[in-house]
Amino acid sequence: MRAPLVEEFLLSLRSFLVSLLAVLGAAQAAHAQERPYFVTYDHYLEEPGNVEIAVANTTGVPRAGHSAYNAPWLEVEYGATGWWTTELYLEGVTAGQDGSGFAGWRFENRFRLFKSEHRLNPVFYLEYEHVNEASRIQKEIVGSGSLPFEPIDELRHEYANELEAKLILSSAIHGWNLAENVIFEKNLSESEGIEYGYSVGVSRSLGGLASGRTCYVCAENFALGVEAYGGLGSSMERTLSGTRHFIAPVLAWHVTPRSTLKVSPAFGLTDTSDRYLMRVGFVYELPMRWRR
Amino acid sequence: MARTRVQSIATAILLSVATFHSVAFAQTRSRDDDWLAPSREAARMNPLLAHPDAARGGAKIFEQRCANCHGDEGRGTSKAPDLAAADVQAQTDGALFWKISTGNAHAGMPSFSYLPELQRWQLVLHVRSLQVR
Repeated sequence: MRAPLVEEFLLSLRSFLVSLLAVLGAAQAAHAQERPYFVTYDHYLEEPGNVEIAVANTTGVPRAGHSAYNAPWLEVEYGATGWWTTELYLEGVTAGQDGSGFAGWRFENRFRLFKSEHRLNPVFYLEYEHVNEASRIQKEIVGSGSLPFEPIDELRHEYANELEAKLILSSAIHGWNLAENVIFEKNLSESEGIEYGYSVGVSRSLGGLASGRTCYVCAENFALGVEAYGGLGSSMERTLSGTRHFIAPVLAWHVTPRSTLKVSPAFGLTDTSDRYLMRVGFVYELPMRWRR
Repeated sequence: MARTRVQSIATAILLSVATFHSVAFAQTRSRDDDWLAPSREAARMNPLLAHPDAARGGAKIFEQRCANCHGDEGRGTSKAPDLAAADVQAQTDGALFWKISTGNAHAGMPSFSYLPELQRWQLVLHVRSLQVR
């Protein structure tokens, strides 16, 4: 006889898989451009009806002898319409002897404000986060102060509900992408005021004229760039003292038309920043087609 | 109890998305008559006109980026129009290039300005080749 907990888990898993299959069965398209950045957003949204699944990891090497950590996350992105993309994130963390565990979830929405391309393309971003203090993926950096380094087993019981808004501005200039994000985050569980952050990125595809043959390791399948991101204090601490900042080269390899491998080493620029971050991600667009 | 509630919410969200998707995308696309290239953009010439071989690269990009919505032969699907149709082929190279570059978010057409400019012109070459098939 199975334990009730195991049975409940199996039932939950079955419901989830049935629901997921329903979603995937209804979706029928693929192919969009995967941005090379990990933190910065550009103005390209998921194509309507597309589903994209990504797995990624942030490895952090802190200063002052704290334990290195790994923070993996799973991301499911869906193009609800041509002007609205929605995403769900599940994240975890492991830090050697400091413990490991589930770090929370995020529900993100991006809305493109104009129907066509302009010199500056604004996108409005809104995210609800239910994450605990052990969260380490650093999908954005806001406010000030270093990451908490108490044992993960303690931190993962301290949950916060946060609302995050971004103004994304992005331009395509002669094959280059230039993107700037301004971030506002409000912790709904604490009176911390509003925390601010930023990220900027520039990137371009390395290809020129596309060859007529299928190739995997050729310039047209690579995009290269750099991004910089960090915190800008909060409405209650109007100072840049103790803020974290990083600069990070980014490389994206479109391994196949549907899959992209992304790598980005990040270098901490202030004493409160981790010394290094290493981000790796793999993105896959589900192979679905529209019919006449 | 909490786990059951999370399970119910997750199931409800996923089923809602599935329903939304089925309803939203089961409908036939509608044409946006206001989506017109500015005259200056429409007057641009394809720099690859003297290089018809470049259309092969355009065919590859089309297969990778466009065929999902426009169909393998570009003859349209419920989501995107027939690119061999007379009203599409009557547009100038510059107008097609502009539409590929800027997209139309309201009609579900993504912008492809992230592609290098030459690759977008290769796509125009390929779209032109569809009319003679």
